[in-house]
Amino acid sequence: MVNIGIMSFAHMHAYSYAACFNALPGVKLAGIWDDDKKRGQAAAKQFNTTYTGNLTQFLSGKMEGVCICSENVKHRSMVEEAAAAGKWILCEKPLSPSLEDAKAMVKACKQAKVGLGAAFPCRFAPTLMAVRDRIRAGEFGEIYAASCTNHGQSPGGWFADDVLAGGGATMDHTVHVVDLMRWIFDREFTKVHCESGNQLHKKTLKTDDLGSLNLEMEGGMQVSHLASWSRPKSYPTWGDVTMEFIGSKGVLYVDAFGQKVNVYSDRAARSEWASYGDNPDLGLVHDFIESIRERRSPCASGEDGVAATAVTVAAYKSIKAGKAVRI
Amino acid sequence: MNVLLIGCGGMGRMHAEMISRSGLTLAVCADEARPAAVALAQKYGAKAVTDGLKAIENKNIDIVAIATPTPEHLPLIKAAARAGKHIFCEKPFCRTVKECEAALAAVDKAGVKLFVGHVVRYFHEFETLREQAKSGRIGEVGFVKLYRGGLLPNGPKSWFADYKKSGGVTMDCMIHDLDWLRYTFGEPKRIFCQALMKSKPVFMDYSQVTMRMKNGIIATVIGSWAHPAGFRVKAELCGSEGLIAYDSAEAPLTSMLRSESATGSMIVPSSPVSESPYLREWLDFVQWIDTGKCPRVSPADALKAVAMAEAALTSARTGQPVAF
Repeated sequence: MVNIGIMSFAHMHAYSYAACFNALPGVKLAGIWDDDKKRGQAAAKQFNTTYTGNLTQFLSGKMEGVCICSENVKHRSMVEEAAAAGKWILCEKPLSPSLEDAKAMVKACKQAKVGLGAAFPCRFAPTLMAVRDRIRAGEFGEIYAASCTNHGQSPGGWFADDVLAGGGATMDHTVHVVDLMRWIFDREFTKVHCESGNQLHKKTLKTDDLGSLNLEMEGGMQVSHLASWSRPKSYPTWGDVTMEFIGSKGVLYVDAFGQKVNVYSDRAARSEWASYGDNPDLGLVHDFIESIRERRSPCASGEDGVAATAVTVAAYKSIKAGKAVRI
Repeated sequence: MNVLLIGCGGMGRMHAEMISRSGLTLAVCADEARPAAVALAQKYGAKAVTDGLKAIENKNIDIVAIATPTPEHLPLIKAAARAGKHIFCEKPFCRTVKECEAALAAVDKAGVKLFVGHVVRYFHEFETLREQAKSGRIGEVGFVKLYRGGLLPNGPKSWFADYKKSGGVTMDCMIHDLDWLRYTFGEPKRIFCQALMKSKPVFMDYSQVTMRMKNGIIATVIGSWAHPAGFRVKAELCGSEGLIAYDSAEAPLTSMLRSESATGSMIVPSSPVSESPYLREWLDFVQWIDTGKCPRVSPADALKAVAMAEAALTSARTGQPVAF
């Protein structure tokens, strides 16, 4: 039996991960810690586990791994505490909005000899796994360009608060695609230009709600990426991850969450997409459990998280400088 | 009014039909390739010639329609203006802003009318997109995504594959979207572009643009001449209270012909309308000549479109944004 704890339900993905831990055989969601007592207690009740308000006490428990889903800027201190307690760690993305913090987290886990994973569940979406396999098998020849999107609805709350999130939509919705590209091609990003705005929510947000990025990877591949909270409340789903690849032997387009059926219900105010197929979160969580059993790093490691943060940090630098910058 | 059509390729054939349908007489078809000129002339009962420049001097001609490769636009416009003819010119206006300015000067001096075919302004779907955006239905528009892509026209041996002549997909094809953005959302502030312009191992171009408008709107435009088949247009307008999306792949008509070839058949989408956008641009031009009512596209608009595409290509070369 692998015992797992969850630290903070500030990020809504914690609810999905908790359900996944509960669904996996041989795994026990042993406890929840949250700096928001009410939220933590409610989650403990929902997922049939116990709530602990004291972090030291929580980390002295018998669980072997923790999943951290706090506000972005709190990731570092929580990872450092969990690492010091010898726990395997799965940290919600972005690993950190700050490159310095992200690197410190990796270092802390190395020193404590624990595994650190960045939560990039897209790596476990069968649509994207197929994309990776087919591109790496050479089906589309050499890939010269890619156009990507990661749009979403506005998550509101701390996500749109610079102090807690460390950035806006450009931060929130760039790291997935950056990680996917690095994972598919085993190459690093070298250059980025970014235009961003806070103009889709009548300036009610304290951060950017949209970023249009033009990037370059090692070898010169040109990549565009749109990160936004541009899906309105009336949109039939939360958002998307799409990628178009231009290769010497052909083109490939993927709508990663396009496995859906359309639902028109008079009980809802909008039409909806109901998804079918695999749940990528389950794959992510399963890999994390396996990494604990095998005492290895999770599939997307802390280093991968650092690399993704390096790109978003450079994107914000480009916004400020008004020009393309090296990563 | 009698029309001289110079350039009897793909766009020339299209314009020949629109000329005849808009109540004009296609009098002369000119193309360096005689068979192309003859074939089109026969269809419309026109005269076929190989020397377009010389045909411009013909006294019976009222309008010169130019559908040649882009670098030939300037000398033809200059000659037509000198001869006092009105001019219909396929986009892009000219290959460079400098050439556009020279053409404008010639047209102004001669006092003739010049229309450049930015036909996307006349496409029904783009009209509806524009109306919906302007109606306030999705609140304040903050973000626009446009996509236009398909095959490199006429294959690697065509003049389109000579990026020096055509300016690639950015100058020849994406210019439609750049023009429509300015038409709908006002002046651009700065532009960033990445353009592939490959000739080895295959001819293909793929252009990715981020453009900031003066009013703050961010536009992301993708243009492709990198697809092995098909043609697709997508548009998405994001506002503070909603989103408007269009995708040509969701056409009301799709057909697929049985094919003997090894590569199989292709789905061909279509969206029929009673009045083709190409006819609408011709009717707008003719009305300008007849009544003086300004058309939807001015020569200054056409120059500005070239300026945007040129700035994009400069950005692609330097790797930095270009301000307007």
